[in-house]
Amino acid sequence: MQNILVCYKWILNEQEIKIDPNTLSLDTSRAKKRISEYDKNAIELAAQIVEAQGGSSIAISYGGADVKQSLKDALARGPERAIWVNDPNSDKADAYVTANALAAAVRQAGDYSMILCADTSADASNQQVPLRLAVLLGIPAITCVIKLDVEGEKVIATRRVGDTTEKISVEGPAVFTVLPEIAQPRFPTVKQVLAAGRKPQLELKVDDLGLESEKLTPKRTLREIKGYTMSRKNIVYKEGTPAEIAAQLVNNLIKEGVI
Amino acid sequence: MAGIWIYSEDIILAKELVTPAKELAKQAGQKVGAIALDAEGAKELAALGVTKVIVLQSSSSWVEAYEQVVADVLQEEGADIVLIGGTIRGKYTAAKAAARLDAGLLTDAVKVMLENNKLIAERFVYGGLAVTTEELSFPAFVTIPPRSYEIMTAESEQGEVIVKEVTAEPGITVVDVIKTQQQGVDISKADRVIGIGRGVEKLEDLTMIQALADAAGAEVGCTRPICEELKWMPIDRYIGISGQVIKGSLYIAVGTSGQIQHVAGIRDSKVIVAINTNEKEPIFTASDYGIVGDYADIVPALTEALQNAKA
Repeated sequence: MQNILVCYKWILNEQEIKIDPNTLSLDTSRAKKRISEYDKNAIELAAQIVEAQGGSSIAISYGGADVKQSLKDALARGPERAIWVNDPNSDKADAYVTANALAAAVRQAGDYSMILCADTSADASNQQVPLRLAVLLGIPAITCVIKLDVEGEKVIATRRVGDTTEKISVEGPAVFTVLPEIAQPRFPTVKQVLAAGRKPQLELKVDDLGLESEKLTPKRTLREIKGYTMSRKNIVYKEGTPAEIAAQLVNNLIKEGVI
Repeated sequence: MAGIWIYSEDIILAKELVTPAKELAKQAGQKVGAIALDAEGAKELAALGVTKVIVLQSSSSWVEAYEQVVADVLQEEGADIVLIGGTIRGKYTAAKAAARLDAGLLTDAVKVMLENNKLIAERFVYGGLAVTTEELSFPAFVTIPPRSYEIMTAESEQGEVIVKEVTAEPGITVVDVIKTQQQGVDISKADRVIGIGRGVEKLEDLTMIQALADAAGAEVGCTRPICEELKWMPIDRYIGISGQVIKGSLYIAVGTSGQIQHVAGIRDSKVIVAINTNEKEPIFTASDYGIVGDYADIVPALTEALQNAKA
């Protein structure tokens, strides 16, 4: 029986963010929020473990008031209940603040046997929160997991580190960060979506977590964000036979000194 | 010793980190210290002008287990800025050590500067779509990706090497370690790469792609879905911000749409060529040369043209 906590982040869909070519500012007006893609793999893994072994899973998130809108989607993907931390200053939070808030929420979630997180997020890609969480909770952390096997009291995690595959055995609660290939997320059925609406949700106000203000003061502050632009030649061949186009291109590649 | 400290379990990367560390140290009027895991590498760091190199020695073979000791040393030394090599294991160490010291950490920095006793660093967000400039208070941790800096030449003034016996308790057991069979070369180091995307319709077409690669003297890579969903190629072949990042002279994209996560892995290539049927795909904005057409026609023609050019 596994009692799993699975963390997720509610973020803008980066595919819908536009860059103003003149000012390089980010136009997020048409970008909708969604559960970070990689977190869906972690939620799915939690659901699969619970389906196979019994137990339960709880989805945990930290963010602003709009995180409430994510709960139904998260719950439709398997977890029995959801806990979320509502912080009006979450837009300024860094991984330090996020981990402090999540650790406080985890302490209120009751007993757990493992914490699952994605290895990275689709917005900030900080790759820090799960590791910081493990330090704050005083439990081990295993990153880059591609397979997780529960064998009695032990959990065997297979992790991929560059050209090496490691098998790690852990006893007792631990944080695991998973790579997307570990489990393909489901498309929730109508029944699962309807059932999600009836699952329990717990909102924790950040001020009620008992954290000192220092723990909620970011160590990193954002000074500027701007779109990344590349200047490329953008020569496009549309006319001519494939052979003609290929010959022109090869000529140019020779001139560039890359062939 | 306060100042700028570096750490990497990979000695080549550690030597690369000396370069930005010395720039920062010069600006701050401070010294560079290093934490290393092997005594031989430590000497090389000292020869590069690192003032103090602390070698951690323990019986643990799991590099991640050193994070606590790394944090302890940095605290004892009163490090202001810590640059850590941005490998998977390095980022693990960085995040845990920063958490132990209640410090901020910026992962995958592309630029680091000093300004009024604060570290200013730049990094990519949203899969490479945007760049942020961020301020970190001291102690400030930063991870720097491999091959970001050139290794400097040795200096006349050598630093000291101190060996420390430590205990590194991982709290886990490593049951097995398997070196994955390398399937061909490491594409992140290849000078020319052909990358295929979902626009390539069938597995058999990889023969045609391989012929182009042979003619161009290139390696073949792909976008993430080709590995993860179609499983046509091993996972170490996918190119993108979370996979392999290539920095060679030529990249030819065949049937890739140009999603930002993929483009972020190719944009340091000198020349980018795109082949796609749809002129509106973003890959064309990211390319120097674009060919609007069916790869099934273009790829064989290009293979032939390359063979002719060589003949």
